[in-house]
Amino acid sequence: MAETSPGPRARRWVPPLVAIVLILAAWQLFTVLSGIDRWLLPSPADIVAAGGADRESLAGHTLATVRLTLLGFSAGVAIGLLVAVVLHVVPVLRAAVYPLLVVSQNIPTIALAPLLVVWLGFGVLPKVIVIVLVCFFPVAVATLDGLARTDPVTTNYLRMSGANRRQLFAKLEFPNALPAVFSGLKIAATYSVFGAIISEWLGSEQGIGRYMIIQKSAFRADRMFVSIAIVVLISLLIFGTVVLLERILVRGRPRRDAHE
Amino acid sequence: MADPGVTPMSSEPAVALEVDGVHKSFRRGQETLPVLVDISLRVENGEFVSIVGPSGGGKSTLFHIVGGLLAADRGTVRVGGQDVAGRRGLIGYMPQQPALLPWRTIENNVVLAREITGEPRRRSRALAREWLAKAGLDGFASAYPHTLSGGMQQRVAFLRALLSDHELLLLDEPFSALDAILRVDMHRWLLDIWEENRRSILFITHNVEEALLLSSTVYVFTGRPATVLERVEVPFARPRPDEVVDDPEFVRLKRRLTHLLKHDPRQAR
Ligand SMILES: Nc1ncnc2c1ncn2[C@@H]1O[C@H](COP(=O)(O)OP(=O)(O)OP(=O)(O)O)[C@@H](O)[C@H]1O
Ligand SMILES: [Mg+2]
Repeated sequence: MAETSPGPRARRWVPPLVAIVLILAAWQLFTVLSGIDRWLLPSPADIVAAGGADRESLAGHTLATVRLTLLGFSAGVAIGLLVAVVLHVVPVLRAAVYPLLVVSQNIPTIALAPLLVVWLGFGVLPKVIVIVLVCFFPVAVATLDGLARTDPVTTNYLRMSGANRRQLFAKLEFPNALPAVFSGLKIAATYSVFGAIISEWLGSEQGIGRYMIIQKSAFRADRMFVSIAIVVLISLLIFGTVVLLERILVRGRPRRDAHE
Repeated sequence: MADPGVTPMSSEPAVALEVDGVHKSFRRGQETLPVLVDISLRVENGEFVSIVGPSGGGKSTLFHIVGGLLAADRGTVRVGGQDVAGRRGLIGYMPQQPALLPWRTIENNVVLAREITGEPRRRSRALAREWLAKAGLDGFASAYPHTLSGGMQQRVAFLRALLSDHELLLLDEPFSALDAILRVDMHRWLLDIWEENRRSILFITHNVEEALLLSSTVYVFTGRPATVLERVEVPFARPRPDEVVDDPEFVRLKRRLTHLLKHDPRQAR
């Protein structure tokens, strides 16, 4: 088994890729052999063809969704980090608000989307707010947990060496919280795409969510599959960026043991 | 915390550390747990002083008070002539656990204490590398702490304390994670460094021989609540050769201290 093998990264990527190819092949074969109606279950080849045929309109919708997602994601993450840091630095606030934050994680924030549309209309703002809401909670809670999980011996060391509050935060608490922050960011990355699609379903002129609604009314299963594939790609892209950043910024500890 | 008046200039105080009648208790719910009772000790400038005492007695707690982390219930602590009373950043400190930052490379850990006092990281790096080499850690400057053994991590924590620009170093069992042979090497190494620089050192250990070998004064503490059972002057000239451990006087002192620790009248056994 231990022959000259590709790098560990390649070894990890190959099996799932093979699995995907096999699933697509089986799907293609099934549609051909079973003769199932195309409008019910299109084959992968049909889907690719449908996507290619509609690429101009799709590009516009995709761009709109990506823009909306990134806007909401960055705003949600920024607010989540800021709130977490403020709560951490002011323990009285933390004691009051943290339990509420944890409980509110169990509320599907996305269910607030229709209400926001009623209040704020169909513009960009309610959609961004939905995404901010779904991203805010996981980031804030994970960051707060990470900031609280600082080793007391190291904290004592830094304080005895004369570190002030700002140094304690910058040199110890924040870097120590980074792995936790990133686990929050990964959740937020996935949620932000959900948030974007759902708020587009509720009413918009542009975006993949809007495109899906149109194709659903037209019973175009092939185009619905195309939009699902695009949603998955957007999701993977944002998630992948977060993972890449994590690789760069989180250094020097044995991977996944000290945290989570 | 950056106090420009901290570094002693012309009127250098003769006493690096003066602990005078310090008491400390912890609260545990309704009860109070007395930990330090009337502790007095001093470290002259450039002196190497050790504290030996049973585990759980309160030695680390005394360090936390000297470092300004805890306030004494009674008594005073003066570092370089200044009353500590909750002031931090006056000492170089090596905690009982290495407490390295796992996301920093070894050299960036070594410069941490200097960084806190405002020295930019870049300017301390050369110094860090020089000392890492002297500590036998040449190849590890850009390694991360989790790739080092416990003993190597202790050496890094020691360097971090040493490179801090404070006259007084508090070392809390710096060599507890080392095997007997490496321990002897580290004693030699520490003594060489100390003889070169003559910093004032207060050193906690369980090891009587280690205390006698390194220090000029040894304070023997009782178990909890800790009091000073005895203050012992160690008469051997420096630099001390390795053979000093075979000196009859050394053997006698060692036996005496061991006896004191074993037969502490207040220690419940
Ligand atoms: N922050 C604290 N709150 C309550 N009790 C404490 C605290 N710190 C220490 N203690 C208690 O004080 C006693 C002395 O602890 P300390 O760490 O000073 O002992 P020590 O002499 O350093 O022991 P060792 O040699 O094992 O390191 C112990 O019983 C410990 O449980
Ligand atoms: Mg201790």
